[in-house]
Amino acid sequence: MQKQKRTGLIFFPAFDWAISATHPEREERLLYTRDQFFEEGVLDLPEIAEYPPVVATPHEITRAHFCIPGVDYQTVTAHRIAAGAAIHLSDRIMSGEIKNGFAIVRPPGHHAMRVVRGNRGFCNINNEAVVVEHLRRVYGVKRLAIIDTDVHHGDGTQEIYYHDPDVLFISFHQDGRTIFPGTGFMDELGGPTAYASTINIPLPPGTSDKSFLYVMENLILPMIKDFDPEFVINSAGQDNHYTDPLGDMLITAQGYARMTAMLQPDLAVLEGGYAIETALPYVNLAILLAMAGRDYSYVTEPDYQPDKFREDASVTEYVHKTVAHLQNVWKNRLAKQQSQLVSHDKYYYRQKNIHYDTENFEEKQLEKVRVCAQCPGHIMLDSHMPQTTGIKECGRVLAVSVHNRCCEYCIAEAWDVYKNAKKDERYSYVYMQDKTEDTFLTFRRKDGREWQTEG
Amino acid sequence: MYIGIDVGGTSTDAVLLNDNKVQATTKVFNLPDDLLGSLLQALDKILQDVPVAKIERVVLSTTVITNWIAENKQDSVGLILMPGPGRKLQQYRKADVHIITGAIDYRGREIIPLLEEEILDTIKALKDKGYNKVAVIGKFSPRNNTHELQVMKIIKKHQPKWLIELGHIAGGELNFPRRVANTLLTCATKEKYQSFVKSIRAALKARNIVAPVFIMKADGGTMTLKNSECSPVETIFSGPAASTLGVQSLTPAGGTSLVVDIGGTTTDLSLILSGQPLLSSKGVLLGDQLTQVRALAVKSVPIGGDSVLEIIGKELIIYSERAGQPYCLGGPFPTPTDALNVMGLTGLGDSDKAWEAMQLLGWKLNMSPVEMARKAINLMVDMIVTEIEKMFLEWEQEPAYHTWEVTQKRKIRPQNVVGVGGGAVGFIPKIAVRTGGTPVLLPYATVANAIGAVVAKPTLQITLRVDTEQQKISIAETGYQSKLAQPDLDEQQVLALAKSELINRATSMNIDDDISAVEVLRQDVFNIVRDMVTTGKIHDVCVQTVRGIHCHVGVGG
Ligand SMILES: [Zn+2]
Ligand SMILES: [Zn+2]
Repeated sequence: MQKQKRTGLIFFPAFDWAISATHPEREERLLYTRDQFFEEGVLDLPEIAEYPPVVATPHEITRAHFCIPGVDYQTVTAHRIAAGAAIHLSDRIMSGEIKNGFAIVRPPGHHAMRVVRGNRGFCNINNEAVVVEHLRRVYGVKRLAIIDTDVHHGDGTQEIYYHDPDVLFISFHQDGRTIFPGTGFMDELGGPTAYASTINIPLPPGTSDKSFLYVMENLILPMIKDFDPEFVINSAGQDNHYTDPLGDMLITAQGYARMTAMLQPDLAVLEGGYAIETALPYVNLAILLAMAGRDYSYVTEPDYQPDKFREDASVTEYVHKTVAHLQNVWKNRLAKQQSQLVSHDKYYYRQKNIHYDTENFEEKQLEKVRVCAQCPGHIMLDSHMPQTTGIKECGRVLAVSVHNRCCEYCIAEAWDVYKNAKKDERYSYVYMQDKTEDTFLTFRRKDGREWQTEG
Repeated sequence: MYIGIDVGGTSTDAVLLNDNKVQATTKVFNLPDDLLGSLLQALDKILQDVPVAKIERVVLSTTVITNWIAENKQDSVGLILMPGPGRKLQQYRKADVHIITGAIDYRGREIIPLLEEEILDTIKALKDKGYNKVAVIGKFSPRNNTHELQVMKIIKKHQPKWLIELGHIAGGELNFPRRVANTLLTCATKEKYQSFVKSIRAALKARNIVAPVFIMKADGGTMTLKNSECSPVETIFSGPAASTLGVQSLTPAGGTSLVVDIGGTTTDLSLILSGQPLLSSKGVLLGDQLTQVRALAVKSVPIGGDSVLEIIGKELIIYSERAGQPYCLGGPFPTPTDALNVMGLTGLGDSDKAWEAMQLLGWKLNMSPVEMARKAINLMVDMIVTEIEKMFLEWEQEPAYHTWEVTQKRKIRPQNVVGVGGGAVGFIPKIAVRTGGTPVLLPYATVANAIGAVVAKPTLQITLRVDTEQQKISIAETGYQSKLAQPDLDEQQVLALAKSELINRATSMNIDDDISAVEVLRQDVFNIVRDMVTTGKIHDVCVQTVRGIHCHVGVGG
């Protein structure tokens, strides 16, 4: 009989790294989680295998991001370790060594977008996107799903996969009208080449376990079943917890554990969660035990009582309506014609104003997507920062991204765009991310140098 | 002059060290149930014509506790646990478990208070079953011991003669299940251990030896015999630690060595990195119980010179069990020792019998005795090398919680492959070739344990935690918990405090002469921030005495 496979854990609390001394993303954040894990003896459980963190290479990061001007400038070791941890666990899962994995790492990543000019919502590098690109490139994984259970909209992950029909991104979060980053509404459904591969489920403040699990059971699980991904990633933010200082939701450790047991993600990656004493030790423990198939029913917060929270009837009703609406969108998604969505244009355009809240500056971006009947197309991003000065000023850049399934026409067109932009004096940097060949180029106007990241 | 004594399961070994040279060694087979008699025999053999006044130190290593536990000879103990909410409690099969109300959190705050009535009921239940030894363990008791102390007070009031062990003293690190194991084992072996200590004292007194007496710990350090009576579990596995230290003292300083101790039924692997034995990151496994006992990283592979060889189909198999002596020594089955004899790699046993053994094995595969012997040796080497590779991988896979640890990780392979134990001679050169090291065979290999004991030094560690928000200070190793004397401490002050605690403790244990320097293993400080305001700091600092051995041992007269 084959031995039951274990759950892989990488616990990387980065005890020597913080954004700043009193920032929520500081050394103390996973201290009590460590205490709880050590004291419970979970690392001794035969069902759990702890792995060391690994440092992600610039090449692995470049598969998912355009760091401006380069990876070294936008990341410190802690970022690379968080991304490397997620990669390492995905490798162990793909090799069949473990059945699933939980990367309890900091800093988080789900607010980091494709172009990285700084820190957004405590994130620089999108750990989940780095894993997705790694799995596609190294193992040829075709279809993936990312389920974001953080209280904040996973706007970074959404932005990276908005035009990618192979990645189903589902985010449920507190309604964007009441919380950072103010996005993630039901009508954000993906671009014309990837309609309904982005799903947003905004939930009203005061949502409790009951509705949380209702959404999971009646909407998310059926969508995953239909999409049939080979690999499911959970952006496991814990700020839906009833004690979280940033969110207004009423989810308990038990709620998180039951949700995890239902979702059964291959890989869970910690995102937000800043109730570092009242939530994280218990929620992390409950999720880990749920992933390992152990009894989590005794893992409760000190002030927990069953039925502690009675959800307002209006909240329940609102959630049910939201679910019904999205069920309908999902059911009719295949009837939507690409031509309908883009009104017969060859390109789809989006103008984006991206706010970097940590250092408080703006990026303006024009996104141009090639709408192709044969493939997911390529993406051109024309980015600049309107009012910033100093070292952040890298001027206007053009970045071209080629999907790994692009057709030869789209690939050729993308390379033409890249070559022409190199001649265009307006761009101080020009980037090429060709995922069909795993080739990533940076061109710097100042000295005319062009280089490739080593893979 | 120093004396080293290793009290093993079957023999008692002793060495006399004079001026860093081995002056005498002996191996005495244990007299059944007469520890005192065995000790006296061993002492008499090494002390012929030696003036006992010149003896400066006696150090022991032993596996007696390990053996008691393996043979289930420890006393029975009633367990009172306060696990509170959390992971569902596993079964403690060998103990009578009573779970009572009460819980503490990770900062040492009370979550659920005790219920006195419940404690009284528990005492009565234990009394009715005839227990007089009780272990009381709470989750997070190293952060707040008041529940454990309260329970003890109530027990003492009603049963003043009971032996009570508390979790925060027996297992001060954060790991509740291992703390339960430590406390349980301490409680179950204390009385028996005291009689063991009595025999040792009697033997030394009988031979007029008044030098200080130390006993080895699993981590390769020593403690005074007196202190060991409080925590006998520290002495489990001091045997393998002694053998590693023996190698350390017999090889040049500063080298990286893989120690391969090939015995009759097991092969023990350990590592000396840059001259220092590698410590295991987690406590030792004793039987089926994980403990908090710090130990040298020793990996046991269940094959040795007496393992049984058999052909199944076309396949050669080595069984981990032992079925008696090797064939060449009159045993029933062919063994790796027979293979070594055929290849001329050991003088052990009758060579005609060894050839017969390989012939018996080889005919099924149409192989000559020499071909068969070579195949058997290669298989054994393969298995050991595989385990060595695994051990290195496991070591590289140790978790890291700081960015600096991740960036400093190195890949290390040994310079020396050092053989210890009866079977080592024949295998070591081959193992060395496969692992890319230089084979080293040591003099005095058969009494390496006793030599390890004699060179071992006292070790002490202090893990100090200061929570300035809660105004608390605690030391994991001693179970000490108190209010903070001054409202705030900075990093320098905390470190100074930890160092002075270490020195104080060394003085109280009479080992301060042996403490040359203090090293800092870890120092973390965490800002406690609530509502964007820093409300305090948590300091976590771990200091220890510099590890080492008294001397490197040369070949003497
Ligand atoms: Zn969040
Ligand atoms: Zn195309």
